Amino acid sequence: MKEAYEKPVILKLKTGMMNKFGSSPAYIRKVRKEIDGIPVEKLVEKFGSPLFVFSEKKLRQKFREVKNAFTLRYPNVEFSWSYKTNYLDAICAVLHQEGETAEVVSEFEYEKARRLGVPGNQIIYNGPYKPYDSLVTAVKEGARINIDHFEEIADLEKVADELGVKPRVGIRLNMDTGIHPQWSRFGFNLESGQALDAVKRIASGGKLELVGLHCHIGTFILDPHAYEVEVKKMVDFAYTVEDQFGFKIEYLDIGGGFPSKNRLKGIYLPPEVAVPSVDEFAERVCSALLSSLRPGDYPKLILESGRAIVDEAGYLITTVHAAKRLPSGLKAYVLDAGVNILFTAFWYKFNIEIDREVYGTSEPCVLYGPLCMNIDVVDDLTYLPPLPRGTRLILSPVGAYNVTQWMQFIRYRPAVVLIGENGEVDLIREAEDLTDIVRREKLPERLKLEW
Amino acid sequence: MYKVAVSGINAVDNPGPGVGIAKGLKESSLNVSVYGLAYDAMEPGIYMKWLFEKSFVMPYPSAGEEPFIDRLLYIKSNYGLDAVIPALDAELPLFIKSSSLLESYGVKTFLPTEEQFKLRGKDHLPEIAERIEVKVPETRIVTSYEELSKAVEELGFPVMIKGIFYKAYKAFNISQATSYFNSIVAEWGYPVIVQQVVTGEEMNVVGVGDGEGGHFGLVGIKKLWITSLGKIWTGVTVRNEELLSATERFVSEFKWRGAFEFECIVNNKDIYLIEVNPRFPAWVYFATGVGVNLPDRLLKAALGLEPERDWDYPAGRLYVRFTDDFVTDMSEFQRVVTRGEN
Amino acid sequence: MGNKLSRIALNDEGFIFDPETGNSYTVNRTGLFILRLLKEGKSEKEIVKSLTETFNVDEREAERDLIDFVEQLRLYGLLEGKNV
Repeated sequence: MKEAYEKPVILKLKTGMMNKFGSSPAYIRKVRKEIDGIPVEKLVEKFGSPLFVFSEKKLRQKFREVKNAFTLRYPNVEFSWSYKTNYLDAICAVLHQEGETAEVVSEFEYEKARRLGVPGNQIIYNGPYKPYDSLVTAVKEGARINIDHFEEIADLEKVADELGVKPRVGIRLNMDTGIHPQWSRFGFNLESGQALDAVKRIASGGKLELVGLHCHIGTFILDPHAYEVEVKKMVDFAYTVEDQFGFKIEYLDIGGGFPSKNRLKGIYLPPEVAVPSVDEFAERVCSALLSSLRPGDYPKLILESGRAIVDEAGYLITTVHAAKRLPSGLKAYVLDAGVNILFTAFWYKFNIEIDREVYGTSEPCVLYGPLCMNIDVVDDLTYLPPLPRGTRLILSPVGAYNVTQWMQFIRYRPAVVLIGENGEVDLIREAEDLTDIVRREKLPERLKLEW
Repeated sequence: MYKVAVSGINAVDNPGPGVGIAKGLKESSLNVSVYGLAYDAMEPGIYMKWLFEKSFVMPYPSAGEEPFIDRLLYIKSNYGLDAVIPALDAELPLFIKSSSLLESYGVKTFLPTEEQFKLRGKDHLPEIAERIEVKVPETRIVTSYEELSKAVEELGFPVMIKGIFYKAYKAFNISQATSYFNSIVAEWGYPVIVQQVVTGEEMNVVGVGDGEGGHFGLVGIKKLWITSLGKIWTGVTVRNEELLSATERFVSEFKWRGAFEFECIVNNKDIYLIEVNPRFPAWVYFATGVGVNLPDRLLKAALGLEPERDWDYPAGRLYVRFTDDFVTDMSEFQRVVTRGEN
Repeated sequence: MGNKLSRIALNDEGFIFDPETGNSYTVNRTGLFILRLLKEGKSEKEIVKSLTETFNVDEREAERDLIDFVEQLRLYGLLEGKNV
């Protein structure tokens, strides 16, 4: 009977690095053989590697968690799905089924939501660049538009004249909520009086009906208190607007920015300690609302939560293609997925799980992607046991932003599948091939090659 | 016999409080055996067997809650563990969050609440100062060069440039201010605190709040000599009534629970609050040495025993730090490296 | 055979101390197994054979891992030049 084998490892002891557990100790080395009951190997066999896998169960569960946290505390809440976080049809459809409206920030996203069947009046149209034609469409179809700048007020007044209607609009505010850096580039600043000027301008134009306020204080906000400040300032401003100009503010859209349990680089503590629960956010927001609103007034609270809902529902399966020893002695692995499809690797350190038991001492290593580029680093330092070629790593959470910010650089983008609540596995985006990339290309006749 | 684990046993040029805490526990009226919790095999406390009966290498708090708690429970089940006195900022949030879980396993702590812990951010100082009626140096929170230059223009040189949790530099001109700003941002990120320089005596108070507005003793000191890293090397006890009553207001207003260090600049009747640390300082043995054994009292509070509350320490007791060394065998080191404990 | 290897102290727990440089290292069980054979002056071929006889590993993987391990020993200065 032969003994079990583990790959040989030697580690040099260095002061400051002499912690036998490292930051990913051997005994919590995580093995994941399946996602929602479907074996990782089976998924790869059928759909290839790398592969994005979404869990419908987790997605619905996360949404309901956020929804319950707010609806239990405030009577009038709308959730609007932030398309830019993940605009795959299937993902959006799940969330629309759950009752979310659509929050879009470009004419492309607007068109994508409409194509999916979302009625115009269930769309919130945000962003600093809304082409004129898209404003015409949005007003015609009754979308809610949150204005970003004075030019857009003028554009919308023109649309109003052209269509002979009085569009109902909101304005986006930016403000000091104690969050640094302050997102002051979007919307109208509250403290400087710019926001009030915008209201004056809308009132004096007489062609638009101001019915909403919008704000979005930042992203991956770890301090629930900031939302309390945001909400109080919005309510105060809403009443100023109502009392001075006679508009009725029907909705307060507080944006998103709630964090997921992802590990932001530069935040020392693990997400289970650093990231407050959604209930804490909901409690701050709703109690700030209830304590500052006038009796009997319950404007609609709109949330555009994206990351907090979809991030943890997404996994990426990737395969170890090669192992290397760097001159520094550090172990390096070449994976078949890199920053081309994992844009968020620049900011987050993913949870890494292995598809099988691998015995042996964890050693420091770096994970490289497949690109022939120096910046293609999935993790610049992690601790893994020596991995044989062909080992699958399961990276998570990757559900937010990756499948929208991924780029077609050098390689085809991989397939995306959704595991349904009953274990059905559906392909929701096919892996790309050459035809996807060359479809729009035109080669002038004179350049045709004759080899 | 109570078994108590203490962290921060890195008794180096920027020392953690662990060795001071252990020395206090050794002088306890209870029968206490002290374990060291280390994050690196080179932490000197591991080898100071006369203070730490055993030491354990811990997973970094950043590795997650589960491995950290598992490691503590490993210690509990193999060697026994009644209480932990954590002493490092980086691990406190994890201990605070897990305190009731640990309690359910019979591992006691006596820690500030999450809300209290957050007060350590220098951006919270104005709020604390207002509630306990002390002053704070005039402060601006900045995130850009533009805000920085505006802030120094308003405050006038010299100014203190500080990170929100760590690092503080005195700048005499804009180029110094900019370079300190850059180095803080590079190491700790935004925002950066710009503060007026106030003159007076730098005084600190160490104490343990009972969580109900009272405390188990306070000791006020003045640093007489500090190292280039700003660490106390010689100090003297003081009884400054303004300072001690401000500290008592702080404890009662925030119902502080557990250890704390209250750092101030005192100028006659004016108390300027500089920093609040939610743990023992590295010089905590000073309190033990003047008869107010705060580590022992904190342990008693954690164990549910009634700690002493007297704190009538004399002014004019001198604190002297000195360097020392000893020789041990490489096999000690080897065991820490291969087994993670010794 | 690199005379360096004959000087280093190896213990059963896989702790290595190099008395010449003062550096310390840890190795896992397989690493310790290989180091002992290297100290005995065994060739690469013989080591691969011992590995496959003792452990549940095929020749190809054992060979690949041995190359990597020896490369690391050389990087750490524990082997001089081409020793195996």
